[in-house]
Amino acid sequence: MDVLGFGIVWVVLSILGEMGVRVIIHNDPMYYTASNIGLMVESAMDFLIVVLVPIFIFVGLTLVWSMIRFTVKRGETPTLPEKFARSNKWFVGSWVIGSIGINLLFFLHPTASATEQFFAMENPQAAANKQAIIVDVTARQWEWIFSYPQYGLTQTLDANGQDQLELPVGRSVKFVLRSYDPYHTYDQYVDVIHSFWVPSWGIKEDVIPGEARSIYITPTKITSFAQNPMSRVQCAEVCGPGHPWMEAPLNVVSSSQFAKWIQYEKKLQSGLG
Amino acid sequence: MAQTTMVPAATRAPKAGKRNVMPPVLRGFLWAAIGFVVVNTFVDIVDPFRGHPFVTGPSATFGWVAAVIGWLLGVGVWESVALPLFGYKDRWHEKSTGWRRYFEYSTDHKVIGLQYLGSAMGGFLIAGAVAMLMRIQLMSDHLTIFHYPSNYLTAVGIHGTIMMFSVANVALLGGFGNYMVPMMIGSRSTAFPKLSGISVWLVPAGILTVLFSPLLGAWTTGWRGYEPLASQDANGILYYYLGVAALTMSTFIVGLNMVTTVMFRRAQGMTWSRLPLFAWGQLTVGLLVLIWIPEIQTTFVLALLEKLVPFNFFAATGSVMSYLELFWLFGHPEVYMIAVPAFALWNEIIPVMSQKSLFARDWAVIGLVFVMMLSGLVWAHHMFTNIRNSELLPFSFFTEMISIPTGFAYMAAIGTMWKGKIRLTTPMLLILMSMFNFLIGGLTGVLLADPMVNLQLHDTFYVVGHFHYTVIGSLVFTGLAGVYYWLPKMSGRLYNEFWGKFLSIVLFLTFNLTFSQFFLLGLHGMNRWVPAYPQYLQPMNFEVSIFAFFLGASFLGHFIHIFWAWAKGAKATENPWNARTPEWFTTSPPPRYNFPVEPEIVSSLYIYGSKQPVSVQFPAEQELAATKDPQDEGGPHE
Ligand code: HEM
Ligand SMILES: [Cu+2]
Ligand SMILES: [Cu+2]
Repeated sequence: MDVLGFGIVWVVLSILGEMGVRVIIHNDPMYYTASNIGLMVESAMDFLIVVLVPIFIFVGLTLVWSMIRFTVKRGETPTLPEKFARSNKWFVGSWVIGSIGINLLFFLHPTASATEQFFAMENPQAAANKQAIIVDVTARQWEWIFSYPQYGLTQTLDANGQDQLELPVGRSVKFVLRSYDPYHTYDQYVDVIHSFWVPSWGIKEDVIPGEARSIYITPTKITSFAQNPMSRVQCAEVCGPGHPWMEAPLNVVSSSQFAKWIQYEKKLQSGLG
Repeated sequence: MAQTTMVPAATRAPKAGKRNVMPPVLRGFLWAAIGFVVVNTFVDIVDPFRGHPFVTGPSATFGWVAAVIGWLLGVGVWESVALPLFGYKDRWHEKSTGWRRYFEYSTDHKVIGLQYLGSAMGGFLIAGAVAMLMRIQLMSDHLTIFHYPSNYLTAVGIHGTIMMFSVANVALLGGFGNYMVPMMIGSRSTAFPKLSGISVWLVPAGILTVLFSPLLGAWTTGWRGYEPLASQDANGILYYYLGVAALTMSTFIVGLNMVTTVMFRRAQGMTWSRLPLFAWGQLTVGLLVLIWIPEIQTTFVLALLEKLVPFNFFAATGSVMSYLELFWLFGHPEVYMIAVPAFALWNEIIPVMSQKSLFARDWAVIGLVFVMMLSGLVWAHHMFTNIRNSELLPFSFFTEMISIPTGFAYMAAIGTMWKGKIRLTTPMLLILMSMFNFLIGGLTGVLLADPMVNLQLHDTFYVVGHFHYTVIGSLVFTGLAGVYYWLPKMSGRLYNEFWGKFLSIVLFLTFNLTFSQFFLLGLHGMNRWVPAYPQYLQPMNFEVSIFAFFLGASFLGHFIHIFWAWAKGAKATENPWNARTPEWFTTSPPPRYNFPVEPEIVSSLYIYGSKQPVSVQFPAEQELAATKDPQDEGGPHE
């Protein structure tokens, strides 16, 4: 009786839960996703949420159900049966096999599938990556320095002299990440771990002193920091007192706009230099 | 002679006419101060680098060691352990009644247990107060109450360090482990009473060291002490290493004591298949502690030397990643040191409150053991953003698989409650809440275990939400349940059921309202370790802080209620829950050696029913022999 009732309530609540999840997915649980990797992360996350909702409702419901159905009144001494079942091979068996099955599923999809997709996106030989724009990113306490070696730009700034990252939409970008302080090369402790994070791109990669790491990303939306503040480069690993302010605005623009910006930066650089 | 004058005043007959000596804790502080000043000055004199301030990095380190030794000797180790070690007569008289015995060295595992619980509660209040300061700061998007960002970062570090090493590792392990495990296995003491009498005093020493570390300068790394940033920090970081060294040493001794006690001190008939679940939990966690605590201690010694010497082990010219690997090698098992005793306690309390036989006991035990073993294989899931791509899949595999044995704790609990006769008392309610909160912590962890999703969520407030759900969900809710459950045993008194439930419901609501929004903040782009953040995140942070203040208040409410019940609650019967584990088969509070004679366990401890067998017996002939004076028997004194 209880099993049947429980089953019905579980199914009904799960359906309602899944309908709620559609609304969340429709509105993007990651709020704002604007890169190829971000879209992949988002679909992995959507899948996990869809499978987890009935599990959450199942376990949560057993707790609530026990609290409502199986409690005795205060001070009441119920008559206990002679003995209680101490195991139930159907329940235990389906729990053990079920939890192994769900975890294997998660490992195959989305974990392995999305990770393989990621490896493909990161393959330097991939067609899109061969024409990638290269941006050298130098993380130092506390600044992101962007340089575009293909355009001869050593440090791109906006009109106020703040570091600025600007990219064309739909084109692969190769970021080469280093933690290195060009102004304090004599201090062995000044290079600390930073983390290159763009919230709207759905990815972060730690920047480790003494190592150079690269990552390929393709921005998929024209956007700017002014339009959505998740479009920013933000240091995500604590790196000392300046950590909260270690951020730089990110603008993703059309390719013609990008060409103009490169010209502007070149002028700025020669004017400065 | 010196050792006779050092006997604390309260224990001595006035006839001797000796000098009154100060209370042990005060004497501990005094000796610590003397030790520090003497050794600090000595190091200053021999330190070849002239022109430093009075307290330098090396002098503070050596001075600290002397201070801790002075502190331990001062609280009573001098008379009780140190002098006897050198052949002097043991003049320490251990008090068996009165509140003063909690404020000095003791070998009674029940006193030690309460000392651990009290220290954990003190640590919780301190670190909780620091959390409140952090939440005040986070109400606005720019610096307000903290004038420098490094001060805020120091606060985060103090909060995390004290919460982890002196609350999470202490409350259920040192506290209930010491107090309950010997009684639950029918033993009259623990295996190493003197050692654990000393170790408990390392906890206040460690808490105070971490708390006052900013006196040596702000440190910005948070509780993980990441290198090379740590080496750049001021000397305050030294007291983070040293404070943690004291706290982890205490945890190590607890682990050693618990493992040995469970292995060798079980009563007649307490077979492995009858061993209470909580004792199983302590045993598995004890093994985790024995394996991983020395590992992190070694790492922190390296980090300390890196700062003092310096060595460049972990700087760009050494290997930065090594520190991360070494930290998380310990760091993940640490999470299970916190959670496993809580899982065990669920299945300890649930059968009692459900008046129903424990369901699938073997699976519950297998779950604990496998969680313990797998926990050493998953550390790099804290490092998905910096390990090699080829390492992503193996580590996410083990991480996902560890949720299977974790689930067994739920399976046993649910199977036990199903069709039981549940008494929805405050401890039971808190256990259900704990299971619910940990469920959220676990399921949000499934997202983090996926390496791709992790690349977005790592180091954001999503993770902060996740680990507060797991830690507060498991440790704090279950720990409170344990306090309410065993309160009648420890104090002989009952809490007030209305206030217990009311406060628990308030706690549950404010906790969820606060931390569920951490997930949203993280998804929305809020990173960690920031006293200032982009303006668009401010409204939600403001509102989270308001809930956090109510959360803090409801913790306070619980503590006040517990203290009130301890002193003024209604008198409890000896076994108010009709539990079957041995700790309930003696008076409340229990006598010095727990049971009049060693009990004998004659049936399974978790069988309920109208024909349930007796579980614990006292052999009659021994009982007669023991009536003379159980106080003197087997005791190490006089
Ligand atoms: C009383 C309610 C609590 C509140 C309001 C609270 C709040 C916070 C906040 C705001 C942070 C900073 C997150 C960041 O920027 O990284 C934090 C970090 C942390 N909290 Fe709590 N917390 C509470 C209780 C606890 C408890 C009970 C524990 C564990 C037993 C705990 C363990 C930690 C740890 C380990 C950190 C990480 C510190 C670090 O990054 O170094 N907290 N908490
Ligand atoms: Cu940084
Ligand atoms: Cu940073």
